[in-house]
Amino acid sequence: MSFVVAPQTVDEAIAFLAANPDARPMAGGASLVAMKNARLIEASHFVSLARIEALRGIGPSAAGGLRIGGMMHHRQIAECADLTGGWQMLRQAAGLIANRVVRNMGTIGGAIANADPAADYLPVLACAGAEVELVGPDGLRRLAVADYLVDWYETALEPGEIVTAIELPAGGDGPSVYRKLARTPGDYATVSVACAREGAGPDSSVRVAVGACGPAPIRDRDAEAALAGRLHDPAAIAAFCATLAEQADPIDDVRGSAAYRLKLIPRMVAAAIRDVTGDR
Amino acid sequence: MAGKEVFALQINGTRREIFAPGDATLLDVLRDDLALRAAKRGCNQGVCGACTVMVDGVPVRGCLTLAGACTGREVTTLEGFADDAAMQALQEAMILSGGVQCGFCTSGMLITARDLVAQTPVPDEPAIRSALSGNLCRCTGYVRIVEAVTDAALQLARQKDTKREAVE
Repeated sequence: MSFVVAPQTVDEAIAFLAANPDARPMAGGASLVAMKNARLIEASHFVSLARIEALRGIGPSAAGGLRIGGMMHHRQIAECADLTGGWQMLRQAAGLIANRVVRNMGTIGGAIANADPAADYLPVLACAGAEVELVGPDGLRRLAVADYLVDWYETALEPGEIVTAIELPAGGDGPSVYRKLARTPGDYATVSVACAREGAGPDSSVRVAVGACGPAPIRDRDAEAALAGRLHDPAAIAAFCATLAEQADPIDDVRGSAAYRLKLIPRMVAAAIRDVTGDR
Repeated sequence: MAGKEVFALQINGTRREIFAPGDATLLDVLRDDLALRAAKRGCNQGVCGACTVMVDGVPVRGCLTLAGACTGREVTTLEGFADDAAMQALQEAMILSGGVQCGFCTSGMLITARDLVAQTPVPDEPAIRSALSGNLCRCTGYVRIVEAVTDAALQLARQKDTKREAVE
């Protein structure tokens, strides 16, 4: 049996992973092969998901939203004309991952399985209220991002389970925005913010998720409700930003100190809210 | 390390059989087994871009692509572009602009730039800088590389216009 196996269906992949507990699923390989090259991981086989047709495509979901196959590349998502309005932020995030060539390789399913807290999709998906679809030997399940993420780099994925799709609820007309502060284009975020506006009238509200400042994106629905109808009130926005910053658990790393990240959160959240309200 | 396997790969239009470790990367077999050494092993982490090659016409990192995942795919390295007019224009522009110093990044730069000019006929400077942002150069400071891609793209666009006029 060769080291790389490339099943044609999800069922074949799941069966192979179940029969070979030391095998690992491989999406685009952009992170997994780098880890192998650095001798950080060992595996009996890499089970490439690249030839499974069912993991491709972006289209309507059964629930009336959008379904994105797990093997869609960042470049395909960045170029997807259907991602407008409330979904625009996903398109922006995909286009800011790494660089042109790596975006041809990396996939949304792989990125979510890897679950780097500083990577770009997670805050967007938390903001959108997306669900992650997992398939394993026990069948299919869909989890909200908050339930999928367990801790730093730890997800609800069980051995032998793979990410098959992401489902976004109907996105609304938006607008939405993804803001990323990074040391250099294509780096992981020092801090990132996804923000989408709900409604256009005086009662309109925002959904906001902050990335790279803890094991999972920070989102506070109570604080969002308190801010509804006050999107042009600087004091209300400052209070909202402070509430999110209080929930952050950033680390000191090469991209910035925890203290620096805590200072960035209010500025970036306020800027993202201004992006979707049009205030300057 | 995984045991050795036979890989049958389509490289630069020719079928090649290679006996290499099962977890070998495409870059490993290109350089170590096939002596195609335009693609360079820089970081082996997908960061530097020196190993960039095309698989099915799409630029990818050779170091992040497993050889065993390339069966049935068409691999093209810089060597495979020897007769490609757009690549020749890019290469000449790189020489004329002084975009080559030590040369280690050049092969990867050229593959990425070739894809850019195919997708965006006359890219502006921000588009060029963005496209090449995943190809690191520690010599030139990038200015001359950006100039080279700009010049080559303009020259290629002009040639296309001339051809179109000739046909009309």
